[in-house]
Amino acid sequence: MTDVILEKVGKTYPNGYHAIPSVDLSIEEGEFIVLVGPSGCGKSTLLRMVAGLESISTGELRIRGERMNEKEPAERDIAMVFQNYALYPHMSVYDNMAYGLKNRGMAKNLIEEKVSDVAAMLGLTELLQRKPRQLSGGQRQRVAMGRAMVRDPKVFLFDEPLSNLDAKLRVQMRVEIRQLQRKLGTTTLYVTHDQVEAMTLADRLVVLNKGKAEQIGTPMDLYNKPATPFVAAFIGSPSMNLIDANLTEQGIKISEALTLPLSHQHRGGIVWGIRPEHLEVSDEHNADFALRILAVESLGAETLIHGKVETELGNGDPMVVRLSGPHLPDVNSLMWLTAPVLHWHLFDAKTQQRLRD
Amino acid sequence: MIENRPWLTFASHATLLMGIALVALPVWMALVASTHPASAFGAGHIPLWFGDAGAETWGTVLFEKAGNGVDTPVWFMMLNSLIMALGITFGKIAISLLSAYAIVFFRFPFRNLCFWIIFMTLMLPVEVRIVPTYEVVANLDLLNSYTGLTLPLIASATATFLFRQCFLSIPGELVEAARMDGAGPWRFFFDILLPLSRTNIAALFVILFIYGWNQYLWPLLITTDDAYYTLVMSIKRMLSVTDGDIAWNQIMATTLLAMLPPVAVVIGMQKLFVKGLVDSEK
Amino acid sequence: MTVTFPQKGLPWLLLLPQLLVTAIFFLWPAEQALEQAFYQEDAFGLSREFIGLENFAALFTDPLYYQSMLTTLVFSFSVAIVGMSLALLLAVMADRVIRGKLAYQTLLIWPYAVAPALAGVLWWILFDPSMGPIALWLKSAGVDWNHYLNGNQAMILVVIASTWKQISYNFLFFLAGLQAVPRSLIEAAAIDGASPFKRFWTIVFPLLSPTTFFLLVVNLVYAFFETFGVIDATTKGGPGQSTTTLVYKVFNDGFVGLDLGGSAAQSVVLMAIVGLMTVIQFRFIERKVQYS
Ligand SMILES: Nc1ncnc2c1ncn2[C@@H]1O[C@H](COP(=O)(O)OP(=O)(O)OP(=O)(O)O)[C@@H](O)[C@H]1O
Ligand SMILES: [Mg+2]
Repeated sequence: MTDVILEKVGKTYPNGYHAIPSVDLSIEEGEFIVLVGPSGCGKSTLLRMVAGLESISTGELRIRGERMNEKEPAERDIAMVFQNYALYPHMSVYDNMAYGLKNRGMAKNLIEEKVSDVAAMLGLTELLQRKPRQLSGGQRQRVAMGRAMVRDPKVFLFDEPLSNLDAKLRVQMRVEIRQLQRKLGTTTLYVTHDQVEAMTLADRLVVLNKGKAEQIGTPMDLYNKPATPFVAAFIGSPSMNLIDANLTEQGIKISEALTLPLSHQHRGGIVWGIRPEHLEVSDEHNADFALRILAVESLGAETLIHGKVETELGNGDPMVVRLSGPHLPDVNSLMWLTAPVLHWHLFDAKTQQRLRD
Repeated sequence: MIENRPWLTFASHATLLMGIALVALPVWMALVASTHPASAFGAGHIPLWFGDAGAETWGTVLFEKAGNGVDTPVWFMMLNSLIMALGITFGKIAISLLSAYAIVFFRFPFRNLCFWIIFMTLMLPVEVRIVPTYEVVANLDLLNSYTGLTLPLIASATATFLFRQCFLSIPGELVEAARMDGAGPWRFFFDILLPLSRTNIAALFVILFIYGWNQYLWPLLITTDDAYYTLVMSIKRMLSVTDGDIAWNQIMATTLLAMLPPVAVVIGMQKLFVKGLVDSEK
Repeated sequence: MTVTFPQKGLPWLLLLPQLLVTAIFFLWPAEQALEQAFYQEDAFGLSREFIGLENFAALFTDPLYYQSMLTTLVFSFSVAIVGMSLALLLAVMADRVIRGKLAYQTLLIWPYAVAPALAGVLWWILFDPSMGPIALWLKSAGVDWNHYLNGNQAMILVVIASTWKQISYNFLFFLAGLQAVPRSLIEAAAIDGASPFKRFWTIVFPLLSPTTFFLLVVNLVYAFFETFGVIDATTKGGPGQSTTTLVYKVFNDGFVGLDLGGSAAQSVVLMAIVGLMTVIQFRFIERKVQYS
């Protein structure tokens, strides 16, 4: 069943700034949707429109079939976890979690039951009487989630909930959030600008760019078939190598001196892309091109090699290669590479759309 | 200290002690004077050490009458002062909290205009517009009333700005969280805003209490009925008797009693007092 | 950006009490003063006549008004400068001592809580010409102290009483300012061989200048408006006009002299002065906000 529907939802701020032109999205019940994109692209704006904290300028938002545009946040049956947790500093953990229920006039014993259930689920039972300032970052995060969970909302909204935690805790909480969501089966809309977080959490991803949904799909869809160079660059780390080229009869003309053979009916300017992990080390005879090595980053399990495509006419486009295991090539030496056609991504330079393979 | 210079440290302490002595000198004298009978203040001398009429003088002014033409006992005027001080304090805090709340958490037409109107009260201390304000209060038939004593003084730009500052520092996410939790404007005000502002309120309370208690010119003008005399202004009435007849012992006892409550507040709540002073000047 | 509530009527309700009080007891009287300043009214308010700027003309040709201005300036700057110097001295000493800082602070700040009128009375008896110990001591030292008759001495008395009350305020702000001076600067100067006195005048005092300026404005405002009680309880503006400040004159001409038009014109002038001072104060605060 479709749970949340955004139909041509757009936002213009009172100062005239057109933050979101129009977004269409329908979310299935129990689905975990991640909104991802660079800073300022409108992720929070979109989420806050769903929450009811920002008015919806155009379009319609429906939750379980009911139009929500004019409803107060409290009437939408949603719960939100904020970036800074937004715990009430003067209330105990218990009161923080119970506040929303009290406001809804729930009976006291029911509240107690509800809060202690959720607290037990989150491992907060011992901390119920503490004030937020007496908690660690991870504990606060859990309380914020608990506050959202006690209400049994139809939809969970998260706005970068992990960005205030250190790297290790972030990974741990990420796993916890995923497990909890699976267990509760609550539809979730989650905002992050961290693509690893996005990939690992999402059932489906929405990549936003300047207020527009560039692509909506499963993490693997986006990884395997990015719709635009923007998505291609955004998903995957390190980013996909993207090079401006020309599609001719001979193939992909990367520079005067380098053309990669390909037969394709499209002609004209394109963006040619290949992921760093798909480049293969080869030898002078079989290679498609050579890379002049500029820097080597050894991470143990893998090695990242930064360089520039070498041609007779001098150095060309920058490129990153990702190899598994340790490698120690000399800086400034040449590295021969093949780029398997299977892994190429072609985008029309003008429309920025993916070319059919 | 950076270098150890015992004489400098000694000089510091000595200067401070001298300062304290100087500051305390008039109170000491008043205390001494209040322990002598009125007849001890002859021409040419004033007693320099405690006498033995203290209990009697203090008892008289506190419970019978303050003397020098004021027939009301000090305890009664203290009550009036307390009513006035608390009325002004609570009034100022209440209406300033509300206006700051409106200005910070709502958007409505003429919001800036309202802000400026409140701001203008800063430029119009009561001393400056004393005559017309008196007339307004007289027209409203508020002379000799508690309302007249307090109401005209409770508009406060300072308190409004202070609360505005305090509210602005409350993270927006907290407000949003409260809205999601189903808290409307009133619930938010009482459940979240007030508890979060309580130290600011307390600090301001101390400053405003002193302000209210020490009102002088205003009660002097609008109270002619001694049922409404406040303690501080009664001094003026006591001093109005002809020079030779002033009973200094009673005046001193009354003066000390009049300054006792606010001084006790400053000393007892020193931390809040300092915070209040610093905050309200920002 | 702050988050707001959507209600449209509620904010007016919330503002209503403040706006009402402001309108009735501030704006209306101010408007009345403005109006009255252009009229001449008999003492019983029975007849009044529009006379344009005559009240102002009378005011600005009245030597007594200029004298009152001068008195106000002398009085205000004396209060500000004497009070600030003493407070700075005490604050520097309190900042130096390690033990007993809080006790010293407690014993120095309480006069803030004393009503100006009471401060006046307290110092009056010390200086009472016939029995005040200080007056008698001065007499024995050859100074003929009688502030009932001698205008300068009356001025000194009100300055002392007003300063006494304000020292606590200055002290607190200077002490806070001193404690905000970075320790490392003073240590660097000490390593450069500057003596404690030199350090104070070359490092600490310049760094205190925002505090000093702020206090100067606050003290002037205080001396202008809040010392009414001191003057009224001790000298009543006398002898002659020697302690009649502008604010005292507004009151005196209005309530005692019953010259309503003249008093109103003075009110208008004072409002302009307060407006100016408020603006200066705000400019300063804006700057302070920018720097911090
Ligand atoms: N109240 C507002 N008025 C005008 N413009 C705004 C307002 N709030 C946000 N914007 C603008 O809208 C755009 C989208 O903002 P939004 O907060 O949604 O970005 P975001 O994707 O969440 O970024 P981040 O990752 O930095 O949180 C930004 O360019 C921002 O400057
Ligand atoms: Mg955001």
